[in-house]
This record gives sequence, C-alpha cells and structure tokens, in this order.
Amino acid sequence: MGLQLCSVEKTYEMNSVGVRALRGVSFDIDQNEYVAIMGPSGSGKSTLMNIIGCLDVPTSGTYVLDGADVSALGEDELAEIRNEKIGFVFQTFNLLARSDVFHNVELPLIYAGLRPARRRKLAEEAIARVGLADRMRHRPNELSGGQRQRVAIARALVNQPSILLADEPTGNLDSATGAEIMEVFDALHAEGNTILLVTHEDNVASHAHREIRLLDGLIASDSFQSEAA
Amino acid sequence: MSKIHGSVEALRIALAALRANKARGVLTTLGIIIGIVAVVTTMTAANGLANSFRESVSVLGTDVIYVSRMPWIFQGNFFQFRNRPNLDLKDSVKLARQLGSEAVVNPTDDTRRPVKYMSEVIENATVIGTTDKHMMVSSAVPEYGRFLTAYDVKFKRHVCVLGTTMREQLFGDVDPINKKIKVGRSAFRVIGVMEKQGSAGFFGGPDFDSQIFIPVSTFVKEFGGRNRSFAFAIKAPPGADVADFEYEVVGEMRKVRKLKPNEDDNFAINKMDSLLEAFNNVMGVVLMIGMAVTGISLFVGGVGVMNIMFVSVTERTHEIGIRKAIGAKRRAILQQFLLESSMICLVGGAIGVALSFGVAAAINRLLMPASVSLPIVIIALTVSVAVGVISGFIPAWRASRLNPIDALHYE
Ligand SMILES: Nc1ncnc2c1ncn2[C@@H]1O[C@H](COP(=O)(O)OP(=O)(O)OP(=O)(O)O)[C@@H](O)[C@H]1O
Ligand SMILES: [Mg+2]
Repeated sequence: MGLQLCSVEKTYEMNSVGVRALRGVSFDIDQNEYVAIMGPSGSGKSTLMNIIGCLDVPTSGTYVLDGADVSALGEDELAEIRNEKIGFVFQTFNLLARSDVFHNVELPLIYAGLRPARRRKLAEEAIARVGLADRMRHRPNELSGGQRQRVAIARALVNQPSILLADEPTGNLDSATGAEIMEVFDALHAEGNTILLVTHEDNVASHAHREIRLLDGLIASDSFQSEAA
Repeated sequence: MSKIHGSVEALRIALAALRANKARGVLTTLGIIIGIVAVVTTMTAANGLANSFRESVSVLGTDVIYVSRMPWIFQGNFFQFRNRPNLDLKDSVKLARQLGSEAVVNPTDDTRRPVKYMSEVIENATVIGTTDKHMMVSSAVPEYGRFLTAYDVKFKRHVCVLGTTMREQLFGDVDPINKKIKVGRSAFRVIGVMEKQGSAGFFGGPDFDSQIFIPVSTFVKEFGGRNRSFAFAIKAPPGADVADFEYEVVGEMRKVRKLKPNEDDNFAINKMDSLLEAFNNVMGVVLMIGMAVTGISLFVGGVGVMNIMFVSVTERTHEIGIRKAIGAKRRAILQQFLLESSMICLVGGAIGVALSFGVAAAINRLLMPASVSLPIVIIALTVSVAVGVISGFIPAWRASRLNPIDALHYE
C-alpha cells in the first residue's frame, strides 16, 4: 500500500506558454511514513501536494494510491478518493465560516453518505482527538488560529484517510502555536498515520523522518533522517 | 442513503443562504410573486366562472330551445333586430298546436316591479310571468308549497311563487304560505317557495333566487301585454333528436310568422350552446390575459433568480472549493444550488399565494364567487419550484463544474 509516483509531470498552460511546475517526479511513500517536502518558493511543492491529494491530475506520469492508479480518473471519482482516502490540511485552514466546528468536521462524512448517528460519533471523536471537545458549537471566527488549524486537522482525520497531507500547516501560525500543531501531527504519526507535509521551516521539517527537497520541479534530494532527530 | 443525507445538507445550506440574504431574495422574487398571484388569480377566476356558469345553466335543460325576438348573444348591428315583430301569447299557442302535444311550449316574460310585504319592500324585483309548464322546461322545483297550475293561469289568479332569496328578504322566519304580498299595485297570495338555484349574474343572467313567479295571464292583465315580446321555452318530445327538433321549431315558427321562403327569420333560436359560447369567450379572455401576465412575470422573475444565483455562486466559490476538496461530487454541488434557487422561488411563491387570497377575496366581493382552492395552491407552489429549478440550473451547473483548486484559491 502507500503511494507511488512515477515520472509525474505537471505543465500549466498560461497564455499558450507552458509553465512546467513538475518535470518528472518519482518516489514512493510507505504506510506510516512521516515526510517533509521542502524547497524554494515556486519549486512545485503545492503542485505536487495537489496531485497527491487528488485535487489535480498530472499532465503525464502515473500516481498509484493504495494500489490503484488514480492518475487518469474523472472528477467525481477523484472526489470520492479525496473523500475516502485523503485528509488535506491547508495553510489557510479553509473552514466553512458560517458553520460551527462540529459541522465542519462532520462535512466529509455527510458527503460519504454516513448516517447522522455514526457521523456524530466519528466527528466528536476527531474533535476530542485535537483537544477541542469544549468548542464543538463555536464558529471559526470565534477560535484562535491554532484552534482553527486543529479543526482542519480533525476534519482531515475524521474519515480515517490513508494519508494525511498538509501544505504549510504552520505557515499562518506563530512559532509556539506552530509547535503545538506539530505535536498533534507527531501524535497522529505515532498512532500509525501516514503524514506528508510541506514546510519552509527547518524546525518543522525536523519532526519528519524523511525529507524530500524540490528544486524547479525536480527532486533535488530525498533523505531519511536518523531516528535520534 | 447518501442521496438523502446529501439532500439534508443541501437543504441546510439553502436555508442558511436564504437567511443570510433575505432582502435580496425577496426583491428578486418580486417577479415570481407577481407571476404566482397572476396564476392563482387566473385559475381562481376561471374556477369561479366555471362554477357560476354551471349554476346558471343547471337551471336550463340541454334539451330546451328558447325562441325569442332577439338572440341572447349577438354580434353586429343591434338595430337589425329592432324592427322584428313581438312574440305574443297567441304565437305561443299556435306554435304549441303545430308542434304537437308531445312538445312543451312555455311562454314567459319578466318585468321589474316593487314587491311588498308589511313594511318590507323590494324595489325592482324581477317578476316573471309563466305557466305551469315552467317546471317541465327547467329544473326549478318548489321547496314547499306548490308551483303555479294550469288553473292559476286559466283563471288569472293572483297567486305567486317566491325565489328563496326573495322569501328570506320579505318574510325572514315567518311562514310565507297564504300570506298576501303586493306586486306592483295588486295583492298576490303566496302559494310556494322555490328551491335554491343560484345566480348567473356574472354573465348578465338572472339571479334565479330573487325572482317571483306569477301566472302569465295575470302578468299580462296587471302589467299589459301589447308591447311585450315573450320568450318561448320549448322542450323537445322525449327521445327526439334536439338538432332535428330545432329544425322543426324553426319551420313551425316561420309558419306562425307567415314568412315567405325568401324572407329571413325574424325571431331567434337560443340554446344553452350559445351561453356556452359566451362562457368560453369570457373564459378564453381571462385565461389569455392571466397566462400572459403569468408567463411574463415568471420569465422576468426567473431571469432575476438566475442572476442572483450567479451572484450566489460567485460569492461562494471558495466554499464550493472547500466542499469539493473534502469530497463533494458535482451532483452534490448542483443539488445544493438548485435547492437554493427552488427555495428562493418557493418563498416567493408562498408570498404570492398569500397575496392571492387577498385578491380572491376582492374578486369575491366585486365580481363573482371565488375562493383559492388547495389544488390551485399546490399547482402554484409546484410552478414556483419549477421556475426555481429552471432558472437555477445554469448557475448551479457552472458551480458544479468549478475546478476545486481554482475555487479554493478564489478570494
Ligand atoms: N494554476 C496555475 N497556473 C499556472 N501556473 C501555476 C499554477 N499553479 C502553480 N503555477 C506555477 O507552478 C509553479 C509551482 O508552483 P507551486 O505553487 O507548486 O509552488 P510552491 O513550491 O508551492 O511555492 P510556494 O512555496 O510559494 O507555495 C510556479 O511557477 C507557479 O507559478
Ligand atoms: Mg505552495
């Protein structure tokens, strides 16, 4: 299981000029890995994450997730995979502003077609898991940035995805709050989750056990850190 | 299963969106509101017309032909009928003799006279001179007492039968039978009261319940017969073909009138069909105007709703991105916005229906009996939802087709 990328390319057509955001990226990620993706701005990190998160499809190359090739699926099939196998955490949280914490976390389960009782149980568990059990009925604008990101993590977790993706999850947080969020990711990894996160910060990347560096749409380095780190 | 929960979520979103944009929603639905008022009013009016019509024709049998000087409904020049000779009672007797004993010929005419009992006076009551055959050519039946008999006619008795409204106005709770009332200048004895029959007032026809019947002979004696033209209600013999019989009546009438073959008829044959024609004309106009107003306002309303849905989709592009990112399929998004536009239109439709009750009440007071019925309400609300679905479709479709990443990055 896990995921395999093979010669993944992504070219954006801009005014008939092709922007080659990814120029042939290949790597495997096994279950329960903890990977940090780093690289300068514009190197293709977000593009890569979007493809892994099934929000976008590669221009060429293959992407196999949990043993199934997903590189050429249609929009609704991708939506289903996003719903069942992917948990995505964004830099800007991307919560529904008009809905409370509970509803935000419950939402993926609604689109999965679960019954209300089951949804309630799973959502409450996920919210408790990120330490927000007492904020269930708050709206995002009544929460701090760190709490919002915890809600987003709970939402990403709630459908028990194969992989947890986070594109600069601490990018909008101060360092203390960022550290708290990283503790959440560490704990989730310890529980057996596969985690892939993008960051610019070394101290964030140091939480991961493997570091993939991108440069101009290519892998510049792919290294495992010692367990001691 | 997933469809049901999806619908609940979509409904939830639609309601939230409505709550957030109340004023805007109501404004855009103005066209829908007007359209629904128009459709409900049209259907209510059409219903009212149909009911009045049914009431008014139920009194007239389908196998009865009416011969009179003037047609009930005519096109063209009124003056062409003015020089026609009157139809008098002798004509009626002749015609009856010629048609044979199986056909029934009942001559009638009416006039307006004051009717008085004790201190109660009805000015301008419709007084009808008729015969015992009245009951054979109409569905009128006395509720109590009796109707006029051949002897009443023969001996020019001063007896009368009251319509039910007339009885109520003159007598209230008092038993009218054998009471003396004044019709014009003479006293008449009340011998019966008719069953309720209804009114054809809207078609310019009579209110059957406000009439008073007296023997036609007495009528002529009291109110004069020289310048009167009677109408003959003629019932075909049992089993006769009405069309053939009409032909026969025309032939016999021409003989009564002593017309030469090259002369036109100087009398008119009226049938329920001609009323039906009038009814269809009125109905056609009502429906045409109603449907035009309905169509135009619903179209304008629909365009407004489409517009607001485009705005709604644009405003919520980011939200759509989030929903898609966590697994909403295109159909879920489509459903969400279709439901929103349907709800907007449903609210407009409900307001329209509420206003329609007021309009119906006004019609009721001014024109004719009319009331908004449940099927009409259901039709109106269904129409509003349909307008919502149709006008919301393109915006909803566009929303469902948004690329998730672009939508997420939309500010
Ligand atoms: N939708 C798009 N259309 C055209 N070009 C795009 C699009 N998205 C990204 N790009 C281009 O692709 C390249 C890679 O962008 P990407 O967002 O993946 O970079 P990144 O590594 O995430 O950068 P950052 O660290 O600033 O977030 C950039 O040159 C960018 O301009
Ligand atoms: Mg990026």
